[in-house]
Amino acid sequence: MVVNFSAILNPATGGDNVLSFLLSLIWIAFLMIFFLYPSFGQRMQLSYMLRDLERKLNKLKAIKDDIHRTTVDTIKRVGKPEKDPTPDIDRLSEFFVIQPESMDPYGLVYKLEHILETGESAYESEVAKLAPHASPHQVKSLTNLVEVLRGINTLYRVVRHYYLLGRKTSNIYMVLQIQMVLPMIIEIAESYQQAAIAFSRGQPIGDGVGPLVAAKLADGREKERYEIAKDTIVQEIEIDNRKVYIVRAAGPGGTVGRPGEAVKQLVEKLPENPKLIITIDAALKLEGEETGKIAEGVGVAIGGPGVDKYKIEELARSRGIPLYAFVIFQSITEAITPMRESIAKSADVVLEKVKQLILEKVKGGETVVVAGIGNTIGVGV
Amino acid sequence: MSEPSIILGYRPKEKIPEPLTFLKCFSCGIENSRPFKEEDYVLKIVNDEKCPKCGGTSSKIVNIYVPEKKTAK
Repeated sequence: MVVNFSAILNPATGGDNVLSFLLSLIWIAFLMIFFLYPSFGQRMQLSYMLRDLERKLNKLKAIKDDIHRTTVDTIKRVGKPEKDPTPDIDRLSEFFVIQPESMDPYGLVYKLEHILETGESAYESEVAKLAPHASPHQVKSLTNLVEVLRGINTLYRVVRHYYLLGRKTSNIYMVLQIQMVLPMIIEIAESYQQAAIAFSRGQPIGDGVGPLVAAKLADGREKERYEIAKDTIVQEIEIDNRKVYIVRAAGPGGTVGRPGEAVKQLVEKLPENPKLIITIDAALKLEGEETGKIAEGVGVAIGGPGVDKYKIEELARSRGIPLYAFVIFQSITEAITPMRESIAKSADVVLEKVKQLILEKVKGGETVVVAGIGNTIGVGV
Repeated sequence: MSEPSIILGYRPKEKIPEPLTFLKCFSCGIENSRPFKEEDYVLKIVNDEKCPKCGGTSSKIVNIYVPEKKTAK
């Protein structure tokens, strides 16, 4: 059989040739792909992204369920409740705090403080009811544990919301945004998972480095100790004839106390202004930075919603007290998971630096306030 | 394990870090460590554990942390 190759290669002249007909079909398919690809391709990409999101959402759910299990088991083990605490724990994991209205910013800090304190007290008393046999410091650690559960629950609900919304509206840009931040969210969720274990066992966490420095500073030197604000104590010590007032949350239960209110109350009670207010806290490191790196500067080293920071700044400004700060760098994961060796070792270095600063800047007979900021879980007094 | 991680985006699950408790004996001043136990906290006085060096029964918890992994050179 003689094949007319030129006819085959030209679909328009192929006529009754089968091969030519097939080639025509292929050409049409190519043309269709070329014209339909812009919308078809996006749909294909969207379906891949949604599948990836779904996989990660399942992982997030597995972490949430694991933290839920840890919380329920710990409350049952430590608190020995008479009835199953699961429905109450589920209710607490949906607990919310409504931010105050900021249209009129006057008095906003005090409104925020009031709302946060109300929320904190309500939460703590609810957890105490769930764990009737837990000691006061265990109740605080259990409250932290339930807060971790609340955090992961919120994270999961938000991610699920964007996943479902993206799927419903086929909005690739919405899905893309959540897909881009999801690796970071998963990392935070995994940190929560480790944090839940630390809180359930009462292990010191990276954020506790501030109270750890304060505890080491007071250890063996304490002359007097008293509670000055809720969950916050003052320890009076002397270093080479300089009076040092150490402010920190009362451990070993998991609490950050109220350092702002405590420093304010303390300074207002003192017969004369302290020469310095020194704050020590954990700070978030940048990627690539060494964990446990120490930096010093001026200002108030306190994170959180800003109420405590505002109070100390306002007090220092009105009385002209210099503010010094030491921070110990760590990642968000390291801050909420069991304390790493490098962070614990930094506490000893900061301790020496604080003593040196006191000796340099404060004369004999004068006073100084040192505040160890952070969650005091696993750090006693 | 590094190649599949790059290709599949798979990351092996990190083990939950287990902290150690460091106790300083009141009798001989030697620091010993053991795995963390519940109810341990920094500055706690422990009266029911024997010091492996001198046999003293009273010690203080001076640190609790997760030791860094030593990388082989």
